[in-house]
Amino acid sequence: MIGDAVERSLRSPQVLIPVGELLSNAAGSRMPDVQADMLTTEIVRRVVAACPTSALKVDESGGREYLVLNYGDCIACSRCIAAGSGAFRYAEKVDRCGVGKAALVRRWDIQSRTEVVQDEPALSQAAEQIRSLVGRALNIRQVDAGSCNGCEAEIVALTNPYYDLERFGIHFVASPKHADMLLVTGPVTRNMAAALKNAHDAVPSPKLVVAVGACGCGGGIFGGSHAVVGPVDAVIPVDGYIPGCPPTPKMLLTGILQVLRAFPSRSRRP
Amino acid sequence: MTETVPNNETGVSRALDLLRSANTRLVSIFGSIDSGSTGDSGVRRVHHLIDVNGREYRMLSSPVTGPIPSATEVTPAAAWYERELHDQYGIECDGHPDPRPLLFHENWPENVHPMINDVSHVPWINDEGQYRFLRVQGNGVCEVPVGPIHAGIIEPGHFRFSVVGDTVLHLELRHFYTHKGTEKLFENAPLMDGVMIAESVSGDNCFSHAVAYCQAIETALAISVPPRAQAIRLIGLELERMMAHIADVGALCGDVGFSVPAAYTAGIKESLLQASTRYFGTRFWRGMAVPGGVTRDLASAETGEFGRMVTAAARDFARMARLILHTSSVQNRFESTGILTAEIARQLAVVGPAARASGIRIDVRRDHPSGRYRNLNVDVPQYKYGDVLARARVRIDETAISTGLILETLKDLPAGSVLVPVPPSGNAEALSAVESPRGELLYWVRIRDGKIARCHIKSPSFQNWPALPLAMPGNIIADFPLINKSFNLSYSGCDR
Repeated sequence: MIGDAVERSLRSPQVLIPVGELLSNAAGSRMPDVQADMLTTEIVRRVVAACPTSALKVDESGGREYLVLNYGDCIACSRCIAAGSGAFRYAEKVDRCGVGKAALVRRWDIQSRTEVVQDEPALSQAAEQIRSLVGRALNIRQVDAGSCNGCEAEIVALTNPYYDLERFGIHFVASPKHADMLLVTGPVTRNMAAALKNAHDAVPSPKLVVAVGACGCGGGIFGGSHAVVGPVDAVIPVDGYIPGCPPTPKMLLTGILQVLRAFPSRSRRP
Repeated sequence: MTETVPNNETGVSRALDLLRSANTRLVSIFGSIDSGSTGDSGVRRVHHLIDVNGREYRMLSSPVTGPIPSATEVTPAAAWYERELHDQYGIECDGHPDPRPLLFHENWPENVHPMINDVSHVPWINDEGQYRFLRVQGNGVCEVPVGPIHAGIIEPGHFRFSVVGDTVLHLELRHFYTHKGTEKLFENAPLMDGVMIAESVSGDNCFSHAVAYCQAIETALAISVPPRAQAIRLIGLELERMMAHIADVGALCGDVGFSVPAAYTAGIKESLLQASTRYFGTRFWRGMAVPGGVTRDLASAETGEFGRMVTAAARDFARMARLILHTSSVQNRFESTGILTAEIARQLAVVGPAARASGIRIDVRRDHPSGRYRNLNVDVPQYKYGDVLARARVRIDETAISTGLILETLKDLPAGSVLVPVPPSGNAEALSAVESPRGELLYWVRIRDGKIARCHIKSPSFQNWPALPLAMPGNIIADFPLINKSFNLSYSGCDR
């Protein structure tokens, strides 16, 4: 019988997704993107009113009005897409995965209908660079600090035959003492704050911390709760943020690689 | 369906009498505060929700002025509900055998009850108070503490084993590490926003939670959901069940070191997530259900293709499941491991696949149908041994049944719209039940002036967690991951 299982496995078609199709791909995440040339004051007013978590805001500075989209606060409810009359659509690409907190935010000048571009270079899709990033193994300890388990479901999916995280030399480990990176989900609850701190202390330096999901990045829908301390960076220092509710496996992988790129000296390589 | 009893003592004692009678099952106990326009604001109420004859939910509601008699001696299933009632509302249950705090850990001050007190600034208690675990003593008895953080990508919770050698004598749970005060967050939420909170109660069952919430709103406000929306909801609910069961069976194989089926079934689940993305734009059906219907229709040209993807996944899984069940090393590990007896399952009012694997044939889709399930006959599989194998078999059978329900529904999709408007007004209360992949899931909502005044969630995981420790004694500690996985309960769904 075990022979049958192995034989079937060998006969089953190759489903591995090539790395070029993975990076920054946001299909199915329901995250919004903005069609800048279609922005109007009226649309901006409507989408800001529709957003339940204030991920969309209007910012006035220097006499000009800017639309601000903070991916870290976005729970991917898609109300802005319904209210945005075509100026908002489902994002095909989200490259703000694994970036610093400031880079989670995008801005558009409403009058000139143009994005105010920051110089956060996107992750190169060259396979060579990927190989150089994980030339050696990366060990990840995942910590659920209070999540709804939606992020866990997607993190587990990273190990299925479509994404096969191990192809990059990235492993999930049981002990924080074996880890190079903590991948933390959830709004940190009062009841998990101490355990999260202990796990962080147990990771040998140099260490990387990545906050995952709307709750991990900004508290999400649980931000104001009496039973929640706040986002991950309210309890331990965070190096990179992966937005989404939940982020898809492709966004997770993009974010993990992005953090490695940003902190080459801290991913345990000489 | 809802009886309101005016007098405190007789109200609760009538509920206890009902629980003592045959063919009743405790569904939930929860509190609320009257905040109606009648001027009696501030009166706490306790609600006993009871299933009568497996066909009717009866709710007895009584005002609370002092301690109430505990139902735990009548049915042990009440134990956690009454501890939660005390934590949330400060209601004392006289005669409760275990009045320790449940939701809050040592950092939470005593006598702060979030549903009746202001909790905008709750001080942090640095008292290093020790939670009192039951101590098992004797020659060679060791305690093994596990968690809250576990090895693997799993939610947090604490398990305290008392073992002699490898053999477990006693297991005690300490949970609520992921308690997020969710029921409080519903207070004053606009009706259309509540569904987003519901989707974040237990992420892997988010669609069941969303539908249960939406149905409660629709029942309260007497809104008829278009038949096409009901059909699409059924497809989503059954697809969620398929994905959960397929992943669970695969994970059980992973726990006995049979890694080929574990990887293979993970791939099948992923193919269904990708089918969801292609036809519904969402992997887990987040944002699909809203009060009044669903947000996305399925084009008629797509039904055939979507059906073929579901069929292919189900066929692959059925083949793999046959192989798994015929593998002797799997049989050796699954059979007679982690037995939950029917008697204990009944006492703890266990629901879902765990109940059906212990000889208790209950299923909301058959017993309390709503939406499109009213017109369907749902097969309910049943096994009597209550071991890991029985729980795996229930999931394998149910995956095939869910596939059938999806294909049947796709073949006969009603025409028409998928969404009707819901007025943001009204004062009403209602209950709604859904059979989630983990079992009976109920939402009770009270609407005041078009906003949520109270939302109680009866989650199948909250109901079933206390049963897991009773399936452990006599098993070896190395089988715990397998037994735990065979129940596959949600921590966040329980802790809320």
